Amino acid sequence: MLRFLVRRIIGAVVILFLLSIVAFLLFFGVPRDPALLMCGKTCNPDSIANIHHVLGLDKPITEQYWIFLHNLVLGSGQFAQGPCPAPCFGYSYHTDEQVWGTLMDRLPTTVSLTLGAAACFLLVGLGTGLLAAWRRGSLVDKTATAGAMVVSALQIYFLGPLALAVLVYQTHWFDKPAYTPITQNPVSWFGGLVIPWVVLSTIFAAQYTRMARSSMIEQLQEEHVRTARAKGMSRAYVFFRYAWRGSLIPIVTIFGIDLGSLFGGAIITEYTFGLPGLGNLAVQAVNFSDLPLLLGVMLFSASMILLFNIIVDAAYAFIDPRVRLS
Amino acid sequence: MGGILVMSRGGRHAYGALCALAAGALVLTGCSKGGSDTGTNDKKDQQNAKSQQAPIKFGNAADSTGPAAPVPGAKSGGALEVLARDSYAHLDPAQIYVQDQMAMAQLIHRGLTGYKATSDDGHQHEVVGDLATDSGTTTDGGRTWKYTLKDGVKFADGTPITSADVRQSVERLFAPFITQGPSYLQQWLANTSGTGYRKLLPDGPYKGKHLPDSVLSTPDAKTVVFHFAKPHPDLPYTLAMAGYAVVSAKGDTQQKYDKNPVTTGPYKIQSFQSGKSMVLVRNPNWDPRTDPIRHQYVDRFNITFNQQYETSTKALLADSGPDRTGVSFSNQVDAGNLSRVLADPKLKSRTVSGYQPYVGQMNINMSKPEMKDIRVREAIAYALPISPFVRAYGGSDAMEVAGGIISPTVSGYDPAFDPFGKKKNPGGDPAKAKKLLQEAGKVGMKLTFGYINTNEGQQYSTAMAAGLSKAGFNVQRQEIPSETYYDQVSKLNNNYDIFHSAWGADWPSALTVIPPSFDGRQIADGAANYSQVNDTHVNSEIDRISAITDPVKAAAEWEKLDKYLLTKVVNVVPTGYYKQVQIAGSGVGGFVYDDVIGGMDPRRVFIK
Repeated sequence: MLRFLVRRIIGAVVILFLLSIVAFLLFFGVPRDPALLMCGKTCNPDSIANIHHVLGLDKPITEQYWIFLHNLVLGSGQFAQGPCPAPCFGYSYHTDEQVWGTLMDRLPTTVSLTLGAAACFLLVGLGTGLLAAWRRGSLVDKTATAGAMVVSALQIYFLGPLALAVLVYQTHWFDKPAYTPITQNPVSWFGGLVIPWVVLSTIFAAQYTRMARSSMIEQLQEEHVRTARAKGMSRAYVFFRYAWRGSLIPIVTIFGIDLGSLFGGAIITEYTFGLPGLGNLAVQAVNFSDLPLLLGVMLFSASMILLFNIIVDAAYAFIDPRVRLS
Repeated sequence: MGGILVMSRGGRHAYGALCALAAGALVLTGCSKGGSDTGTNDKKDQQNAKSQQAPIKFGNAADSTGPAAPVPGAKSGGALEVLARDSYAHLDPAQIYVQDQMAMAQLIHRGLTGYKATSDDGHQHEVVGDLATDSGTTTDGGRTWKYTLKDGVKFADGTPITSADVRQSVERLFAPFITQGPSYLQQWLANTSGTGYRKLLPDGPYKGKHLPDSVLSTPDAKTVVFHFAKPHPDLPYTLAMAGYAVVSAKGDTQQKYDKNPVTTGPYKIQSFQSGKSMVLVRNPNWDPRTDPIRHQYVDRFNITFNQQYETSTKALLADSGPDRTGVSFSNQVDAGNLSRVLADPKLKSRTVSGYQPYVGQMNINMSKPEMKDIRVREAIAYALPISPFVRAYGGSDAMEVAGGIISPTVSGYDPAFDPFGKKKNPGGDPAKAKKLLQEAGKVGMKLTFGYINTNEGQQYSTAMAAGLSKAGFNVQRQEIPSETYYDQVSKLNNNYDIFHSAWGADWPSALTVIPPSFDGRQIADGAANYSQVNDTHVNSEIDRISAITDPVKAAAEWEKLDKYLLTKVVNVVPTGYYKQVQIAGSGVGGFVYDDVIGGMDPRRVFIK
């Protein structure tokens, strides 16, 4: 187990390292200059050069990359805005705020959104999927399958505004989506996130329904399941005890990836509902050509995906005794 | 789907957020989305335009005395909910140069001068002394300007504002960390263009050096005198910019000031959570008797960020809960809801509308040999249809067909000036264009049209290209990503023959329009002379008119130069004057569109 973890973590660090190089090259490869956005009306090559100098963009790319790595690992006291302890992504070009601080500031929003939505879609998605598999071929199954098909074709940028229009602005059944820290007011926290949870989980739930159903049906056709039934075990016992555990493997894999990418920021959901999370931050970073913020959000999101992948792989061992990690 | 996998979707919104930068820097042409064309052209806007021809008066001591005339029906108290798209990246006045931050700054920062509304409809203004006793006095035609601070003006922390604070505010503009604000004053003090001004005081006031008395003198605690080598009669306008508001010398924390400034306006910052929210509350150290410009009706402003145009419009239309007393300082009614809102008299009564400062123009790349023949440029000007441009932005409520390059909100605007007949015939005149092209012997010539790949850009460029083709051009459309649009077109060796840009004035004088865009000595990579025009007459006129001290005479001369440019040089074809519609909840009173702010006036609002 330990050897497995060490190996995977080293792998993840290598991937992050390569990713940061790609991000750096892409940023400088695009013909877009962040200085031009800040340059003002009387912009000329002198003022652009000054901004480049202030931002450190006048140094060679390799040197800039080296400084970036150095700061990330060791921190830096070189920034005019103040000290920047490791992990230091520097200060945002656009807001002059410390990138790591900003990431940590936005993380609770994204975590709240993700955990709430994940609880919803796992419960609803797996429940419906299992029910459909249990009553395969029945009306319930057909309705669930067709419904899941339709819902998974929807998109958040369609469903989100629709939910807002109907549930918030017309009927006033729900509060306008907003983020209040749970520590400040748990009731507002819940009320402000209900609609985003429902919208985000609806689309995921549909996919999990389909996945759980097909994975379960596949498992039910396995030979060990047939043997168990032949030995006289009840349908329900075999269903939950044998098939269910086996069917979880592909679901856990996908769930790990989904959870990881959601922790990196649900861009469209956060944008649609105006939630100040990592997704909105990513949009802001791109809009303002904000290299430090862009690298920060990107590497943070990537780490989340890698982290959850490792957790998923480790979890296999617990779910399926046939899997041995080393 | 959520998650990083859909990152590419972000690009769809990119131009939206970039427009927030437009006021100060490069104005993107994609600031509002296309929509219906059902709106009617408001007569009020045209009357407004007419009223704008009169130059703004520089007020004397009596004009500059507080308190401001009360807003009819105004009441005190209550909280105003403010929906904002972008979080305020800067609170340090020296770093403020974009419209949404400038609008908010009206509530917290004060400068030596400011614009006082002299009518309740937001159309009439005069420049008055804000912290100063008047709009400034000069005895030598604008070379020396003297300001005296009012008695009883204080920072929000209770310390009195003195000339030392003004000196600090000016000197810190030269420090390297001030990169975002306007640079007019610095350049005038240093008598240079570009960023050469920084050499005058490379470290700002932070390493013991100060501007010499020959440049800036503060003989006593109340007096500030600016000395310029050349006359700068526009100084009262310049000092009214949020970028030149006063900073506390004692409280100057340099870079850190940007997040926690010592304010001077009727409201102070109770909390600011970058990227999330901001709360402004009454500043007890603000004395209305010193302020001829602002009011302090509501108790607090609760500002929430990340509210896109669609979201804020829907929330304010729903008019329930806290949104009943809600507004947005800078969001407009989104194009999707615009026609519905304007068609319903009840909803329309909750809106205000007016001009944004931007003027759209099609640049003709003067560096191209094929563009040297004025007949070719005139053919482009006559052929170019403007109606697709207006349609792409949502119709006449969002865009008005332009005559000249001086906008209706700038002194000197001539509503009758219509050099290419676009106001009468926005579809263009391909027959006349073809004749010109035949005379030049260039029928069928290739014309490369670089266009921005926003929704609007896609829409209007297709129809514009069709109009130009009708006149006999072989138009090649070339798409430019919105994210890199201005990077590309502001490169001197770009290969586009024509491309669109927009420019907004910094104050209601064409001094902030014509010199930056058309001075032939300012041609450089990244600079705003996009058409790369270099005309000796234009250059010498820029120098001559810039020195005229009488604003009325200067405005008339700038308009003459506008006419010369469009009839004798033809390096650009004006397309449209940008407009917008904004909405408030039914509980909001004093909701007025202010032409100088270029949006609703946050200083006048109250809760009904």
